[in-house]
Amino acid sequence: MLEIRNLHAGVGGKEILKGLNLTVNAGEVHAIMGPNGSGKSTLSYVLAGRAGYEITAGSITYMGEDLNALSTEARAAKGVFLAMQYPVEIPGVTTLTFLKTALNAQRRARGEKEMDAMSVLKRVRGKAAELRVSEEMLKRALNVGFSGGEKKRLEILQMSLFEPRLAVLDETDSGLDIDALRLVAEGVNALRSPERAMLVITHYQRLLDYIVPDKIHVLSAGRIVKEGGKELALELEAKGYEQIVKDAA
Amino acid sequence: MTALRAKAAEDFRARGVPHRRVEAWKYSDLRSAVDAGQVEAAGAAAWTVEAEGVEQIAPGEGGFAGAMGEASLAFADAGFGLRAAKAGKARVHFATPGQARVRIVVEPGAELEYIETADGGGFQNIGMDVSIGEGAVFTHVRIARAGDGVRIADVNAAVAARGTYRLHAAHFGSALSRLELKIALNGEGASAHLSGVSVLDNRHADVTTHIVHAAGGTESTQLFKHVAGGKARAVYQGKLTVAQGADGSDSRQTAKALLLDERAEADLKPELEIFADDVKCAHGAAVGDLDADSLFYLRARGIAEDEARGLLIRAFLDEAFDGVRDDLRALLWAPVEEAL
Repeated sequence: MLEIRNLHAGVGGKEILKGLNLTVNAGEVHAIMGPNGSGKSTLSYVLAGRAGYEITAGSITYMGEDLNALSTEARAAKGVFLAMQYPVEIPGVTTLTFLKTALNAQRRARGEKEMDAMSVLKRVRGKAAELRVSEEMLKRALNVGFSGGEKKRLEILQMSLFEPRLAVLDETDSGLDIDALRLVAEGVNALRSPERAMLVITHYQRLLDYIVPDKIHVLSAGRIVKEGGKELALELEAKGYEQIVKDAA
Repeated sequence: MTALRAKAAEDFRARGVPHRRVEAWKYSDLRSAVDAGQVEAAGAAAWTVEAEGVEQIAPGEGGFAGAMGEASLAFADAGFGLRAAKAGKARVHFATPGQARVRIVVEPGAELEYIETADGGGFQNIGMDVSIGEGAVFTHVRIARAGDGVRIADVNAAVAARGTYRLHAAHFGSALSRLELKIALNGEGASAHLSGVSVLDNRHADVTTHIVHAAGGTESTQLFKHVAGGKARAVYQGKLTVAQGADGSDSRQTAKALLLDERAEADLKPELEIFADDVKCAHGAAVGDLDADSLFYLRARGIAEDEARGLLIRAFLDEAFDGVRDDLRALLWAPVEEAL
């Protein structure tokens, strides 16, 4: 589903990813672990197509297509979803209006029929209950006044609503206490499916206790320096990044 | 001509048409658009009034907020007046060049809803004098459509104890346009609540306010939002005076501008003059572009760039009409939608 070859990319003329290779197949959950500054967020922004992030060499192929040739919004319509580390607050746009606008924008781009407000509400309600996203939150301005946990739950709610093919979760565990983490992880696990691939980006092993990956990649200085199964997370936790990176060199 | 009008004419002639070297007109160089001869010979503006629950009265010779209000007093040979004793409504439309004087009297305890639209080109200068009695409420809705001339509205208002002046404005600009308001909160507990948007594409709109807290326990709030595209220029000047003895006054003013083009300009100038103790005055001004994080977030959810920008611009403007009654809000919002 996703094939990244020798990817060099950066922002503002500074190269951050320096020859990254990664293959993720449908049905798999991969974790990218790495210390601060290793390029984790850059990878997520490059995949989502954030303005200002530039690919200088290499390629990203998604479902057989050159991902870099697609606009940010076109990627979303084709099933790329990025759960953001810092979901933005948008005063003046209610959460439900935002969900409806986004869902219909994606449907329109795919040539599907738009959904009316009632159908969207029905669909959102069902999913919201599982993630303990209250009706009251849906009526409030997007993310405004939401706690860290509420923001992350809303990200997962969106993931569930948009049904992406490739979900990238950028530091979804940051700022969550253990109960919130468990709730979010349950939401993510419920979305595991043979048609869907997930890329879980995290600094800490903790999240991977709840979302157990098929494969772990260690990112350091813009490259994957070590790969392994889920046990690699425990090794990282025990030895620390520095030692693992040194061992791999 | 009465002595008062003669004096106004004399003063206006002595100073001439205001220009950019006069502090109050720094961002609105009227002299480059009209000369004194044009102002004096502008003739009478035409208007339509549909009103209920009001009595028509003479325009009289009220006060003015600034230099052009003074000019309207001196040279306008037309005008009308409305007096509300209980609950009145008026819809007023100005569509021609020329000058006029308007007098509004809201009797103690009464309410008047005044919905004003301004349209058309040429030189239009409307001077308005408003007297709000004790416990009375004056709701002023102003929609100034996009034009290519010079359009000025000058409002001088006096608010008695517990009276309220409420303004909701939507401005779409002209070659030069200005709403200048002077509101004196003269009685204990009087208040002024002003909010508005300017949506400008290559045009100019100036909102200049001067609120005087002359009595204790008075309150004023102001929130103006501007969106400027092309070579537009958005101006907000908000002067606030808290007079000696006006203790316990509370004022908040906020002006924000979104610049959608690097050639667009916004000049936001809050100004405070405080002569009393124990007052609360908060003010803020901010000029910026659309937030890049917000734009990315919306696009990453599949919302195309144009639609995402539109959503953020509407959200930015919408705050100015928070809490405005639904039907008035719809009236103000329709031309905003058209302009976006």
